[in-house]
Amino acid sequence: MSSILCPEIPSPGFSFENCRRNAMLEVKGHAMPKAQKTGTTIVGIIYKDGVILGADTRATEDTTVADKNCEKIHYLAPNMYCCGAGTAADTEMTTQMVASQLELHRLYTNRVVRVATANQMLKQYLFRYQGYIGAALVLGGVDSTGPNLYCIYPHGSTDKLPYTTMGSGSLAAMAVFESRWKPDLEEAEGIKLVRDAIAAGIFNDLGSGSNVDVCVIKKGSVDYKRTYDEANIKGQKQNSYKYPRGVTDVLSTKVVDIEEVSVRVIGAPEDMEIA
Amino acid sequence: MFLTRSEYDRGVNTFSPEGRLFQVEYAIEAIKLGSTAIGISTSQGVVLAVEKRITSQLMEPTTIEKIVEVDKHIGCAVSGLIADSRTMIDRARIECQNHWFVYNENMTVESCAQAVSNLAIQFGDSDDDGAAMSRPFGVAILFAGIDEKGPQLYHMDPSGTFVQFDAKAIGSGSEGAQQSLQEVYHKSMTLEEATTSALTILKQVMEEKLNSSNVEVMTMTPDKLFHMFSKDQVEEALTRGLLVEHPVTLTVGQKA
Amino acid sequence: MSLVVKPNFPDYQTAPVQRGFNPYADNGGSVVAIAGDDFVIIGADTRLSAGFSIYTREQNKLFPLSSTTVLGCSGCWCDTLTLTRILKSRMQMYQQEHNKTMSTTACAQMLSTMLYYKRFFPYYISNVLVGLDNDGKGVVYSYDPIGHCEKRTHRAGGSAGALLQPLLDNQIGKKNMLNVKEEPVSQQRALSIIKDVFISAAERDIYTGDSILINIITKDGIKEETFQLRKD
Repeated sequence: MSSILCPEIPSPGFSFENCRRNAMLEVKGHAMPKAQKTGTTIVGIIYKDGVILGADTRATEDTTVADKNCEKIHYLAPNMYCCGAGTAADTEMTTQMVASQLELHRLYTNRVVRVATANQMLKQYLFRYQGYIGAALVLGGVDSTGPNLYCIYPHGSTDKLPYTTMGSGSLAAMAVFESRWKPDLEEAEGIKLVRDAIAAGIFNDLGSGSNVDVCVIKKGSVDYKRTYDEANIKGQKQNSYKYPRGVTDVLSTKVVDIEEVSVRVIGAPEDMEIA
Repeated sequence: MFLTRSEYDRGVNTFSPEGRLFQVEYAIEAIKLGSTAIGISTSQGVVLAVEKRITSQLMEPTTIEKIVEVDKHIGCAVSGLIADSRTMIDRARIECQNHWFVYNENMTVESCAQAVSNLAIQFGDSDDDGAAMSRPFGVAILFAGIDEKGPQLYHMDPSGTFVQFDAKAIGSGSEGAQQSLQEVYHKSMTLEEATTSALTILKQVMEEKLNSSNVEVMTMTPDKLFHMFSKDQVEEALTRGLLVEHPVTLTVGQKA
Repeated sequence: MSLVVKPNFPDYQTAPVQRGFNPYADNGGSVVAIAGDDFVIIGADTRLSAGFSIYTREQNKLFPLSSTTVLGCSGCWCDTLTLTRILKSRMQMYQQEHNKTMSTTACAQMLSTMLYYKRFFPYYISNVLVGLDNDGKGVVYSYDPIGHCEKRTHRAGGSAGALLQPLLDNQIGKKNMLNVKEEPVSQQRALSIIKDVFISAAERDIYTGDSILINIITKDGIKEETFQLRKD
């Protein structure tokens, strides 16, 4: 069953039908709900054999931590991953959508998709929405041309770089890269550098926190190290906060006779009502 | 004697070559024209007793107010130019209220005396703090109060000097009264004894016969705080001390 | 109607440009205090921050005003500096004028009047004043920025105040529980609860972390203690 209000297959693209209503509500003083933002540190580098992406795992809602261990390195294709900073929903949905388009593209062309293709799709999509889709991305992957790393801004501009950082902790992380990145790093060195850059964001930027996720992409293999480093250990509580029995108030009581409920008289077949 | 003090006795802001401020000294002299007031501090509380000079039969004695409440825990007896005393009592009351407002606690008797003293010396040239007064106040004050240190009695003269006393007399009969206080005072005095003594001494130094309308009595105790004696209570105190020959109220303004 | 979308050409705007100036900064931080029968404990985190950056990880936000009174401040740090300097001089002036140290109750009232004095340009601070009263009993006074003063047994203020206060109400005030007897909180339990609630605050509030400084006030004086928190 379907109707205009609830079509079986929704029409593609965004729905703007509540925009006018919401604008009016806002004018009348109704506060709009805030979106979850990932005040974030995300980074990427090119090393000898490929690219390494890194991210922290804190999601915030204003000044409150909303998620202490969220995933910010998103899958795009078997040879490509993308770190997202900004509005959580935008980074999530944008990467998912592009991932599905890349998969279709791979099936259509029967080739390993190039990173440049993903970059082009992302920037065209973001440009179309003039920055209203708040996704700041670090795209990395390996294809026939070798390792590629892109930095994509919410308005649709992109940079192709050997090392890059994004999010509110980008300055802290970039400080680490600027002092220690060099071409053709070994894998272990590269991972260490990415970890340190993310840790710089975690400790010095209040929007970033919790753990370090790392993703190493080489030709033909991906090593996604979820919770590569637990940068912060939760403090040990000194007291037990278990409530003793009987402290909770019982507001109302209703006793149901279970026997009565379970007894069911099944009539003989001839008693059955046949319509 | 006063004639020799020419030149230096006019300005309140000029010392004489001998290092004296004559105007302040004259102000102190003015106290000696005032009615007598006596204060005695005991461990149970403080008593203040003052003489009211009823100079005319047509006067309404209750309108002469020489013992006043400053706060619930501080009372004052004044002698000298009563009009001047109003300004000082106003200041004392304001300071006590301000202290309560800012600190939510009772002002100590000493701090109250200090605050009034600051006002007392604001004569002389005006400065940034405001216009100065043209002359010193012609008033002596007895502060009777209860604070965290217990019952206390302070005396202040027109120079702003304030000193704590066990017992103190001010006004015209102060010299004789102070002498008598010295003899009668002892540390273990009860408040009742003190009240009787104060009235006895007042009786000795007063020109008029003591009765319930020409004397004001106030006690300051930890439980009742400021308590002004009613006419009946004064009479009772007088009778108790056998200060009156006849317990009947004497005619107002009767000469001794 | 006004909801019709109007073309927006900023280059051709003729209206005068208005620029605002905000004299306040929010430097974050949380303060928690618990009073007992013969003691009072106050703790404050040591992180000073602005926006997404940390200014310092070791800022003391507790100010001892006398041997029995301590003030904990969080909010606009420059206001805190000014207020505590004025308070300190007022304490000294009181000492000299009245020949005694100001009691905790007097100090609580004075702070209230000082805050209300700035009613229309307030100090942007969440204040928690603790100390021993004249009977040696622990007391906590909490304030709003314009001088409302409330005496209580426990208080959480600052950036994580809203997170922690319900927990204290439950654990110290025994709120929302049945069949529990109201008994005075012990010093050891109060101390451990303060540490535990700060651990929780550091988990969820980005402005609370690094470490806490604790002052334990008893008749024997003020004892200091520190406790480490997560640093992200």
